[in-house]
Amino acid sequence: MKTFSSMATLWSKISAALPPNEEQFPLQFSDTVESSVVDVLKRSRQQLYGDATSASRSLGAQIILDFSWEKLNTGTWRHVDKEWRRVYSYGCLFKVAAQCRDGPSENEVLQAVRTCDMGLLMGAAVMDNILQVIVGILQDEVRKSSKEEDEPVERLKLEQPHVPVIRQEFAIPRVKCPSLESFNTNQLLPLKPVILEGIIEHWPALNGHRWSIEYLRSVAGCRTVPVEVGSRYTDEEWSQTLITVNEFIDRYIMNKDGVTGLGYLAQHQLFDQIPELKEDIRLPDYCCLGEEDEDNITVNAWFGPGGTVSPLHQDPQQNFLAQVVGSKYIRLYSPEDTDKLYPHQSQLLHNTSQVEVENPDMERFPEFAKAPYLECVLQPGDVLFIPVRHWHYVRSLELSFSVSFWWS
Amino acid sequence: MRWFGFGFNAFGQICDGLNEAAGSDVTEEIRVLRPTELDSCCCCSKISGVRASWSRRATVHEDGFDAASSSQSCGVSLSLGCKDASISEQHLTLAFPDRIESWDLQRKDQTPSWSTETNTQSESSSGCPLLNLPLVPGGYIATKPPLFRSLSPHLKAKSLALGGDHAVLLCASGAVYTWGLGSHGQLGHGGLTSEEEPRAVEALWGMSMSGVAAGGWHSVSISDGGDLYLWGWNESGQIGLPSRGLRKTMQQRSSQQAGALCQDADVKSGEEPQEGEKHEDVFISIQAFPALLDVTPSCEIRTVSCGSRHTAAVTTTGDLYTWGWGEYGQLGHQTLISSDEPQRVEFFREQQMRVVDVVCGTWNTFAAVVKEEVPNS
Repeated sequence: MKTFSSMATLWSKISAALPPNEEQFPLQFSDTVESSVVDVLKRSRQQLYGDATSASRSLGAQIILDFSWEKLNTGTWRHVDKEWRRVYSYGCLFKVAAQCRDGPSENEVLQAVRTCDMGLLMGAAVMDNILQVIVGILQDEVRKSSKEEDEPVERLKLEQPHVPVIRQEFAIPRVKCPSLESFNTNQLLPLKPVILEGIIEHWPALNGHRWSIEYLRSVAGCRTVPVEVGSRYTDEEWSQTLITVNEFIDRYIMNKDGVTGLGYLAQHQLFDQIPELKEDIRLPDYCCLGEEDEDNITVNAWFGPGGTVSPLHQDPQQNFLAQVVGSKYIRLYSPEDTDKLYPHQSQLLHNTSQVEVENPDMERFPEFAKAPYLECVLQPGDVLFIPVRHWHYVRSLELSFSVSFWWS
Repeated sequence: MRWFGFGFNAFGQICDGLNEAAGSDVTEEIRVLRPTELDSCCCCSKISGVRASWSRRATVHEDGFDAASSSQSCGVSLSLGCKDASISEQHLTLAFPDRIESWDLQRKDQTPSWSTETNTQSESSSGCPLLNLPLVPGGYIATKPPLFRSLSPHLKAKSLALGGDHAVLLCASGAVYTWGLGSHGQLGHGGLTSEEEPRAVEALWGMSMSGVAAGGWHSVSISDGGDLYLWGWNESGQIGLPSRGLRKTMQQRSSQQAGALCQDADVKSGEEPQEGEKHEDVFISIQAFPALLDVTPSCEIRTVSCGSRHTAAVTTTGDLYTWGWGEYGQLGHQTLISSDEPQRVEFFREQQMRVVDVVCGTWNTFAAVVKEEVPNS
C-alpha cells in the first residue's frame, strides 16, 4: 500500500528539476521552427508556471507533439532537422509536467515514464537533458511502490539449447587477454577475427550486478524500448514496436498471453537511455587502438530469446561483440568473398546478403557453398572481434544478452 | 455560398475564442467539434474561396481578399482585387489579374519576396484558360525555398496539389504526374523511392482524371467518372483502407472506457459483400499504387481535399465524407476519433445544406454549402 506522502512530493521533486520561473525557462530555436509553433511552446510554458486546467496543459503539449511528430516523419530520419527533435522533447516535457502535476496514480506515473522515453528515443536533449533527470525521479517513484509489492520470482524454464558442433578447421581462434600490441599486430591490422577471452571478467554485469531477468526488470522494467518483431529484418512481416522492458520480457521471453513469434530488443543504444546499465559494462581497452574519438563509439544492446537471427550482413566499422548472458552461434565471411554472398541490390539492403546461411537455396545461390567461413558458439565472458566489413550471421541459441561496440 | 469549418482552431482560424479569461477551459475552443460558420469579418461580400495551412486560414472574397484570418495579421496591405490565394506556414501567395505575389509571413516585410507579372498572352500560350495557384506561368510556387520552381510546358499543367514533401500534378490530358519524397508510397509508382522530376503515375494510365489532392504523406485523384483513387501512407486510415495502428488504438480505448462504442461499428453494415469479418486481418500501412476507394455506393465524387493525415470528399449529390486522422475534430463527426472508413458528415444533412466544395487545412476542414433546394429522396 503506497503512502500518500510519496506521491505528494513527486511534483515538488520534478518542479525542483525545472527552472524556477517562466523567465528562466529557455525556448530558443533556429528559423526552421516557425513562429506559430514557438507561440504554442510559449503558451505551454506559460501554463507550466501559471494557472491552467490539466486538460488544457495536456492539449497544449499534445499539439507540440503532434506537429513535431509530423516533422520527424518527413523525409529520412537522417535528414530531420535537429530542431524538430528538440521541439518534440519540449512536447514530452510539457506532457510529463501535465501528467505528474495533480497527484498522479501509479499508472499515470508509468505513462509519464513512457513519455520521457519517447522524448529520449525520438527527441534531442534539451535543457541539459532534463528528460533523463525526470525519468530518474519517476523511476525512483516506481521502484518505491513496487518494492512494497513482492511478486513471486518467476523461474524461466530454460530448455537446453541445441548447440551446433564447431569443426576445428572452421573455428574462430581464441586468445586470452592479449596485450594491446599483440592484438594490434595479430588481429586488428591484418583484420583477422578472434575471440578474446577473459577481457570482460571484471564487468559488474558478470559479477556484482549480474544480469538476469529479475535484475533487468528492477533496473529497467518500466522503460520503453524499440523491439523488432518477426523472424528477421529481411522478412515482409518484420516490424518494429515500442514496448516496455517488462512487456518485452512477458511476451517474448516468458511467452505470456500465448504470444508466438520472435521479438528482439536489437541494435538499441540502451545504455544511453538507462545510465544504471551503462555502469555495469566497460569500454574494451582495445578500442583505444582505433583512430576515431572514443566518444564516437556506438554501444548497442542485443537482448532476446533463443532463435533470434541477424541475417548475414556487414557493417562499416570494427565491432567487439561481448556476450554477457546465454550463447550465440556466429558465422563470419571475409569481405574478399563478397561475390559469393549475393548481397541485395537495393540501396536499403545492399549490406545484407540474400542467402539464409543455415538453409541456403543452392539453386538461387550456387556460389555460396564455395565461400570459406569461420564459426563459433560465443559464450558468456567471450568477446568476438568482427573486423570492419566482415560479413557476420548471428543466431541466439537460448535467452541471450550481448553488447556490441562499433568503433573505428 | 456559406463556409463552415471544424477541427484545429488553436489560432482562431475557424472562430475566435469567446471566453479568454485566465483559467477557463480552452480545450473546446482549440478543437472545434461542431461545424461552425466562418464570419465574413468586416466586408459584406461573400467568401468565394478558403485556403488554410496549419495555423492560418485565408479567405478570398468576391471583391478582394481578407488576410487577417488568424490572430496575427500578416502585413499585406494592398489585397483588393485578389482572385486566388495559396497559404503555407511560411508564405502567403496572392494572384491578382495582372500579377502574382508571394509574401513571407515570418518576416512581415513591406514588399513581397517574389512576384511576377501575368498577362493574357502567357496564359493562352500555356494552353490553359486560367492557372490555379500554386501553379503560376512557367511553373509553381513551392512551400519551401526556392519559391518558384519551373515546370515543363510539355506537361500542360492544369492543377497542382502540394503535399508535405511531394507534388501531384493533373495535366490537361487527364494524366497524373508526381514527384518529391516517395518514402511512404505517396508518389504512386509502386515503390518507396523519391523522384526529382515529374513522373507519370502509370497505374492511372488510360483513365482520365479531373482532380488531384495531396496530404502530408498521401495523394488522391478523381476520375472523370467520379471515382476516387488514393495512395500513400495509411497510418491513420487516410487512404480509407484498414489501418492496423488505428484498430489497435480503438481496442485500447474501448478496453479503457467500458461501454464505449467504436465509431466504425455503424459503418460496417455498408461494407462490400466480399469483405467479411476475417478480412480485418489484412491491414494496409503503405499503399504504393493507386487504390480505388468506394466512398459510398453509387455516388460520384465531385471534389476532394486532404489535410496532413485526413481526407475529405464531396459527392455530386451534396454530401461530405471524411476519413483519416480525427483527433482534432477535423473529420466533422463531432468526436475526436479517427476512422479508416469514409463516413458522411451528418451535420450538413441535418441542417439541410448541400455541400459544394471542401478545402482542408493541415488539421482542419472547411466546407462550402448552399441551401438544399430539393430534399434528398
